Amino acid sequence: MPEWLDLSRYGVLMALVVIIGVSGWLGVVAQRAVSKGSFLKGFFLGNRGLGVWAMALTATVQSGGTFMGVPSLIYSFGFIVALWIGSYMIVPLTGFSFVGKRIAHLSRRTGAVTVPDLFRGRFDSPTVGLICSLMILFFLTFMLIAQFKAGAIVMSLAWPGAAESTMTLAEDAGIALDRQYYIGLTIFAVVVVGYTLFGGFLASVWTDLFQSVLMAIGVMILLVLSLQAAGGLEKASKDAAAKLDQVAIKAKADFARYEERIQSGGEPLTDAEKKKRAHAEIAAKFSGVGFVTGPGMGRDFLPLGLACSFFVVWIWGGVSSPASVLRVMATKSTATLRRSIVVLSIYNLFIYLPLIVVCICARSLMPDLSEPDTVIPRMALNMTSGIRGGTFISGLILAAPFGAVMATVSCYLVVLSSGLVRDVYQRFVNPHANEHDIRRMTYIAMIGVGLVALGANLNPPKYLQALVVFCTSGQTGALFAPIVMACYWRRATKEGVLAAMGSGAFVVLVLYGLGFSGYAQEIGPTTAFRPYFLFGLEPIVWAIAVSGIVGIAVSLLTPKPNEELVSRMFDVEKPAER
Amino acid sequence: MPNLNEDPLVTSARREAVATVVLWAAALAYSVGYCYLHGYNRPLDASLSEMTFYFGWPDWVFWGVVVPWGACVVISALFAFVFMQDAPLGEDHDDEEELI
Repeated sequence: MPEWLDLSRYGVLMALVVIIGVSGWLGVVAQRAVSKGSFLKGFFLGNRGLGVWAMALTATVQSGGTFMGVPSLIYSFGFIVALWIGSYMIVPLTGFSFVGKRIAHLSRRTGAVTVPDLFRGRFDSPTVGLICSLMILFFLTFMLIAQFKAGAIVMSLAWPGAAESTMTLAEDAGIALDRQYYIGLTIFAVVVVGYTLFGGFLASVWTDLFQSVLMAIGVMILLVLSLQAAGGLEKASKDAAAKLDQVAIKAKADFARYEERIQSGGEPLTDAEKKKRAHAEIAAKFSGVGFVTGPGMGRDFLPLGLACSFFVVWIWGGVSSPASVLRVMATKSTATLRRSIVVLSIYNLFIYLPLIVVCICARSLMPDLSEPDTVIPRMALNMTSGIRGGTFISGLILAAPFGAVMATVSCYLVVLSSGLVRDVYQRFVNPHANEHDIRRMTYIAMIGVGLVALGANLNPPKYLQALVVFCTSGQTGALFAPIVMACYWRRATKEGVLAAMGSGAFVVLVLYGLGFSGYAQEIGPTTAFRPYFLFGLEPIVWAIAVSGIVGIAVSLLTPKPNEELVSRMFDVEKPAER
Repeated sequence: MPNLNEDPLVTSARREAVATVVLWAAALAYSVGYCYLHGYNRPLDASLSEMTFYFGWPDWVFWGVVVPWGACVVISALFAFVFMQDAPLGEDHDDEEELI
């Protein structure tokens, strides 16, 4: 049989076509839903009509990138990663009951369509709105560019046969800037900008919901298959431990051999041998006991300070991401928020714990992968190879990250274009814009943002990943304290909120700056760009603390806010008012 | 000092926020505390004979992460259905004319 006739090579491609098709269809359906009522509220906020499923499964799941990284960590460091993501047990509660109700309330009181709108209305200050908007535009632009790159890479991997040979989605992995990459990039850009342009906010939420469901199905299938293959979790843990000890013995011997060759001035190592030597150096530290105990196999992955930090990072970071806040603003009612808590609790339980099981089984079945990033794609291919329709199933699992990336990009497109239209165009260019102008500007802004992201990826910036890591943390550091102040503190002033935003971002900038310039400690995940963990804590912890203290202090030092404004935001509305 | 005119939604939201922070702190203290005391740097022989497994999970992961995770699901559901209160979100104000 000729190679191109071998259907098993098209699994990923077929799955991608299905995902793209469904996303396009969701865009069209969303367009019908948003075309009722005002364009702004419809397109950017889905007419505040989000129901339980959409809210629960899209408001707190951060980005495809986070989810893609977890399996590799579990495979690399073992059971300690259960504690690393353990805080997700409480995310459903904190995500909706901490500020959810109040954000939804405030956004109606202020008529806010975007997060900066919310701040502008709450403090009656265009300056606060503008600064907030500029910050979000800055942070999100880099995150958007990186997600475009990830999308293009997945697309180029869908080429028949390509996924099986490459399989890595590591964002810092070297990529070939070849024809496949450019075709992938173009298709990705056209698809995601296209359906977001059609359906706006709702299209982005619905595609996100779709990929969340897809992810859950994928994890469930893998859970059953890998438990069967490994003979249960206890056996998998013990097998993995025993095999890791053997891997370590072999790796030590290999490493010693390479060292001896270098020392004795023998034949220089080839590139492939250098790679093997680097892997042997890591694998020599493997140990079965390290895999099933803390603080992580072969590395101080989660010392006590970081264990506490990640309970802060995942929880309060999620609460203050603009994408989450926007979705909470769009909730239909407080009952939706309450039910979302329950739905998301159950969803997280069925995603994260099974994911741990799958990756522990993977360690017992494939004890020595040199690229841990490929653990899920490899498991998908191995586990499904013998069953009917296995190619398509593994294709779906391999393509799931693509869905996640599309949903994230689509959400960023909405936030960015709404920022440009609301905070730049409507405020500075054409304050009297009518609905027709706004609609036209929205389309221009969204296509413009897409073109910028596309252009930046024609020759991807080298240190993009460093910027992305910084932006993700910076946005949390800058926004958490201001959001809490806006929601619950009557005495908060606009100066206080501005100071809180600035100081939070500044702390993150300093700690990441220190880390990037060589002061990062050898703890935590082994990412290429790590911050300086002051007293062993994550920068976000410091940023939240500093920005909270600064925000309170500056508010108390500045004149009290206008009593009428505060009353309008906090008190029962008088019937005489609108 | 409580404000008599305060919208009941604000009052209940603030109370729920405080309760949420308390539950979060409890989860952090218990999970990190238990795992740190029972799972970190544990002296074990390579055959793991001293490690008990519950439903396949090593003892410290089971009691430190899996069980509290289950407890959180139950507590979150109770929080959502019993403690958290519904309130009308109010009508959507249009600020179009205030833009200028």
